[in-house]
Amino acid sequence: MSFLRRSVMTLSATAVFLLIAGLFIAESGFSQTPSRTATRTTAPIPRMPDGKPNFTGLWQALGTADWDIKPHYAHASPFFQLGAEGAEPAGEGIVDGDVIPYTPEAAAKAKENLANRMKLDPELKCYMPGIPRANYLPFPFQIVQGNKDIAFAYEYATSNRAVNMAKFREGQVDTWMGTSNGHWEGATLVIDVSSLNGSSWYDRVGDFQTENTHVIERFTLPDADHINYEATIDDKTIYTRPWKISTVFYRRKEKKAQLNEFKCVEFVEELIYGDLRKKK
Amino acid sequence: MRSFRLTVMLMPAGLALLTAASALAQSAPHALPTAPKNWVQAKTPWGDPDIQGTWTSDDCIGAPMNRPANFGDRGYLTEQELSERMKRLEQQHEGDLKDTVDANQRVGTGPPGNWGERARRPCKQTSLVVDPPNGRTPELLPEAKTRPVPEGAGNNNPKADSWEDFSWYIRCISRGVTGSILPVIYGNGQQIIQAPGYVTILQEMVHEARVIPLDGRPHESSEVRSYMGDARGHWEGNTLVVETTNFLGGRTGIGLNGGGTPTSEALKLVERFTRTSPDEMKYEVTVDDPKTYTRPFKIAFPLTQETGYQNFEYACHEGNYAMFDSLSGARAKEKAAAAKAAAQSK
Amino acid sequence: MKKALLVLATAGLALLAVAPARAHHAFAAEFDADKPVKLKGTVTKMEWINPHAWIHIDVKAEDGTVTNWMIEAAAPNSLLRRGWNKNSLPAGTEILIEGFQAKDQSNRANGSVITFTDGKKLFVGNAAGDPGAAPGAPKQ
Repeated sequence: MSFLRRSVMTLSATAVFLLIAGLFIAESGFSQTPSRTATRTTAPIPRMPDGKPNFTGLWQALGTADWDIKPHYAHASPFFQLGAEGAEPAGEGIVDGDVIPYTPEAAAKAKENLANRMKLDPELKCYMPGIPRANYLPFPFQIVQGNKDIAFAYEYATSNRAVNMAKFREGQVDTWMGTSNGHWEGATLVIDVSSLNGSSWYDRVGDFQTENTHVIERFTLPDADHINYEATIDDKTIYTRPWKISTVFYRRKEKKAQLNEFKCVEFVEELIYGDLRKKK
Repeated sequence: MRSFRLTVMLMPAGLALLTAASALAQSAPHALPTAPKNWVQAKTPWGDPDIQGTWTSDDCIGAPMNRPANFGDRGYLTEQELSERMKRLEQQHEGDLKDTVDANQRVGTGPPGNWGERARRPCKQTSLVVDPPNGRTPELLPEAKTRPVPEGAGNNNPKADSWEDFSWYIRCISRGVTGSILPVIYGNGQQIIQAPGYVTILQEMVHEARVIPLDGRPHESSEVRSYMGDARGHWEGNTLVVETTNFLGGRTGIGLNGGGTPTSEALKLVERFTRTSPDEMKYEVTVDDPKTYTRPFKIAFPLTQETGYQNFEYACHEGNYAMFDSLSGARAKEKAAAAKAAAQSK
Repeated sequence: MKKALLVLATAGLALLAVAPARAHHAFAAEFDADKPVKLKGTVTKMEWINPHAWIHIDVKAEDGTVTNWMIEAAAPNSLLRRGWNKNSLPAGTEILIEGFQAKDQSNRANGSVITFTDGKKLFVGNAAGDPGAAPGAPKQ
């Protein structure tokens, strides 16, 4: 065989080999680009008998939204004694567009809250965190979803809520955890939260709610181990327009992971009532 | 418009129904709807017995924990006693509806009487303790008798050196497992929500959420302890059996609102929930604390579903002005007494 | 025979007795049983909170000075279950309070008896227009 002919044959064989190898690699998922066969390497989305996605499980947010839902850099703690443990880490924030659209008066109040946060932050006093803050505290929460109402049990301060999945029911009184009414939009769980009492903050730096704050949450399962969470927040008394937060909840996968108890009232009594203690 | 009602005629088979003007009214005492003949326990779509809904222990509000000695081993009221109790409930209801104050109304340091919740029908039991046969909690062990019991609600002049002198309920911390379901004068809501592999009970006071896994996993390490313990559930036929261990010791007791002698770390509770009709559930709990009581004992009472009944938030700690005022009042009294003593010694 | 009946009757009465005082949240510790108060005031707001609701009132003295008092009532949960809600006691309503003053002599008292000026008890019955409904209480 001539050299030319051999070269062409070798080249063709190599090309064919590479082609076949390439196909093989792509099929086996070693490819760097997102593969159409991604579900093959992750668990299927859990579903109820009627096909609805099932959110039941133990979930937790990562990141530092509870410190500050807006983008922020690292800061020292107001108490130097806590050293690095009490210092605030940086974060990208969870606010779509990075800015909370406060009215000028509300922006001033948020600033005042920040200046007085060690007296005012309800999280310091073990007050129930309200919605949406309960979801992205540095504590897990358990969702129990069956065929009727859905329970959210938050570890922090034993806060919890029942999401009414039947006919919409107005709250009769304003509460710390609000009144949650849920419904399905396809595979998205939509929860309308109203009748909040306005005493909760969104974070530790003074971003606050009022009793007019209305939150609409949207939960979806892109896969078995993540919840994509979005909340649209509206309050005409302090914002110039509605705004959105979005984040991810991660399924707690440790074998022994379970909801524990963080009844923090006992940890804050000295803080709250200390000066009323009888002096020895 | 006043609500009107039919006169009650007690019959051996049960109580006659009364009409209530509004589903949401604190209605006149009335019987539960009769269970349909051949009632069968429904199942959830994933095959567990369906015990979901908001239940209440209201019916046995006021029933004593310990049986009065004269009842001996008798656990239930006779028809005669039941009808007397029903009459009393109706009188109470009439009194509640009285829109003006009696001339000789006693004014006390407590809240308005007409704000409480009431049983809707007579509690059939002579006591909440159903075993041992005499219906009384067993003797305490010597080591338990000396455990301090913190101040409850009734004392006009409690020791109030600090919050620690008050009960875990008054501090808005917890009422413990039995204390969170035993019938008291308000806040008896128990909302049960099920999912594949879980039963959750949302208990109104003090906003507890018992998350009970059904997958047979072992209890947590004994190093992990809590007020509400670590629960594990399974089904025995249509009965939900829940075993709870890993309690903190020396906190709540077994009684109403978690009162009574604090139980120990060795406490184990086994509860059984059995739905017997669309509106009624049998609840019983076996209390076993070998470091507190001389023997295990059992408490039982019915839970019911009532039209329009729902849980409401009971935030407690967030609004606990009472704690401030109790402590501040005690300090003010001490200051006044000290000033008086100083003046007298001059 | 008579004795047995008497025993039964007493036992029955014991059973039918009202729930023990221990069965609710603290009150007695806050208020001074030696300081009875009778107040007439205008509601400024009602806090529908736990463990107890608090009614804020403005009390006008003979000379026209106004003091604010806080009146402690019971848990609102039972009222909510009877259909009352946050709009049931509007600001501006005149009410009469009988109770005892706080031990620390602050302007707080418990509302043992709370009525409107016409003598009707607050929150008797339910919100459906039963006697004792507050003016403006929502109809069922």
